[in-house]
Amino acid sequence: MGNPVIDVRNLTKDYGKGRGVFDVSFRVESGEVFGFLGSNGAGKTVTMRHLMGFIRPQKGTASVLGLDCFNQRAQIQGHLGYLPGEIAIADDMTGIAFLTFMAKMKGIRNLDYMHQLIERFQLDPKPKIRKMSKGTKQKVGLVCAFMGKPQVLLLDEPTSGLDPLMQSLFIQLVLEHRQMGATVFLSSHIFEEVERTCDRVAFIREGRLAAIRSMDEVRASRTHSYQVTFADSQQLQLFADKAHQGIAIEPATEHQGSRTLLVSADGSVDSLVKELANYSVESLLSRAQSLEEMFMGFYGKEGSER
Amino acid sequence: MSTTLFLKELKGSLFSSGVIAAVLALYIVCIVYMFDPEIAESLDLIIATMPELCAAFGMANATDTLLGFLLNYLYGFVFTWLPLLMIMILVNRMVVRPIDRGSMAYLLASPTSRLSLALTFALTLATMLAALMAVIVALQVACAEAFFPGDLDVEGLLQASAGLYCLWLFLGGLCFLSACAFKDARLALWAGGGLCLALFLVQMVAGVGEGIEVLQTFNPVELYDPYALAAGEDDAVGNSGILGVSGIALMAAGTAIFCRRDMNV
Repeated sequence: MGNPVIDVRNLTKDYGKGRGVFDVSFRVESGEVFGFLGSNGAGKTVTMRHLMGFIRPQKGTASVLGLDCFNQRAQIQGHLGYLPGEIAIADDMTGIAFLTFMAKMKGIRNLDYMHQLIERFQLDPKPKIRKMSKGTKQKVGLVCAFMGKPQVLLLDEPTSGLDPLMQSLFIQLVLEHRQMGATVFLSSHIFEEVERTCDRVAFIREGRLAAIRSMDEVRASRTHSYQVTFADSQQLQLFADKAHQGIAIEPATEHQGSRTLLVSADGSVDSLVKELANYSVESLLSRAQSLEEMFMGFYGKEGSER
Repeated sequence: MSTTLFLKELKGSLFSSGVIAAVLALYIVCIVYMFDPEIAESLDLIIATMPELCAAFGMANATDTLLGFLLNYLYGFVFTWLPLLMIMILVNRMVVRPIDRGSMAYLLASPTSRLSLALTFALTLATMLAALMAVIVALQVACAEAFFPGDLDVEGLLQASAGLYCLWLFLGGLCFLSACAFKDARLALWAGGGLCLALFLVQMVAGVGEGIEVLQTFNPVELYDPYALAAGEDDAVGNSGILGVSGIALMAAGTAIFCRRDMNV
């Protein structure tokens, strides 16, 4: 691969009490959509602040387009679109005044694309930003990030506050910009938004990178669990007593008199459905693995590799 | 320097500065209107009865000229405390609050260097102060011409005003430096603003008390002496120069810190 667009090496910033980031390294290649997943306080925003040149690393380096994030921030920003995690816009401005101001600051002369985006997000930019709802503010932030058709996009929790329709629009927008050749780095604590956009994903936990995986790998390794309710406990017992290939019964759920069982199937649901067809089943619920559970999986694996 | 940001900050500063200017205008009109050599005599009598109180507010100099009257009742107190309030409001609006609330992130997300951001803020502050100065000088001259044509020593007024502007720059420099240097928003606003207030308070106390004149020696705001400035005394002019240069140096120090510090926005 050529030169990475985003290159973070051994990045360390210790805020004390375990907060901050520790020895974080990753590279994002040109044209890639890279997800940065972690729970709140895991170090996503701190990493983002380094990439934006707001703060200086204690150790290690962070560079974008081959330029140092802190010392050459102004140069980088000419090619970068940014969406902050918390929308705090100079509060006495209207949406449109803010966007035009930012376009001027960024040196964007042609405002056609900005207006297109406003229309697509169905954003009414006339009210004061202070009076806008969280979702509307988020739209203003998104228009601001995308309007310059930047080479690099840094998006901190981009879909927070957006309704499902706007979330899909956002995903479409990310994919369009990837088509245009943009490199996207987005952080999130919601797996779904990452799943639908990203090529690769990094998991961060307590300030340390737990794993970097391609989206395909993540999908494949994500186990699916299902809550099966049988017609009666006898049926359950029959099912539980027999060994099934690729199907694991979660031990804690199996007890006398119960009709409900938690099972997990690796890979597809196909084998489970076919197997269950032999029994009398009242209901079958799919239960998505939580981000935390997925982390634990990765963290455990990575931990044992070290 | 970013022209776009400069214009936005100027526009954003207009309202609060306008309010301060309006209050000052009210004082100016009242004080000029009150001037009357005979009333001045009775006011002198008040000063003679309560010299300490008047001294505390920088109004201790008995006078019978219109310029002396203005210097006594405006240049000692009203024209120093209210502009300090304006400086604190502007610095809070441009630097302290945006860093605290995170909206500085947007300015840092533009291809503008931190140096030019900080210089733009400092220049906005200096420009608003200059505009305020222009307004109050013009208003004093206009009122004086309206009520007492030909009575005002305009040259003296301009000299005192130039010195006052240097004092404002110094106060602005302190507040700007503190805004750039401290992470905690309250400290960022009040370390500088509070220090300025403390210097003024010390000046008030030192003007009243006997035997504590030593307090005047190390207080930079004592370098501003409107009467000596109006009289064109070289020392006073030099002292004002020191204030002005210190103010610019403080702003430069603030700028340097702004360029290097972490901003958790």
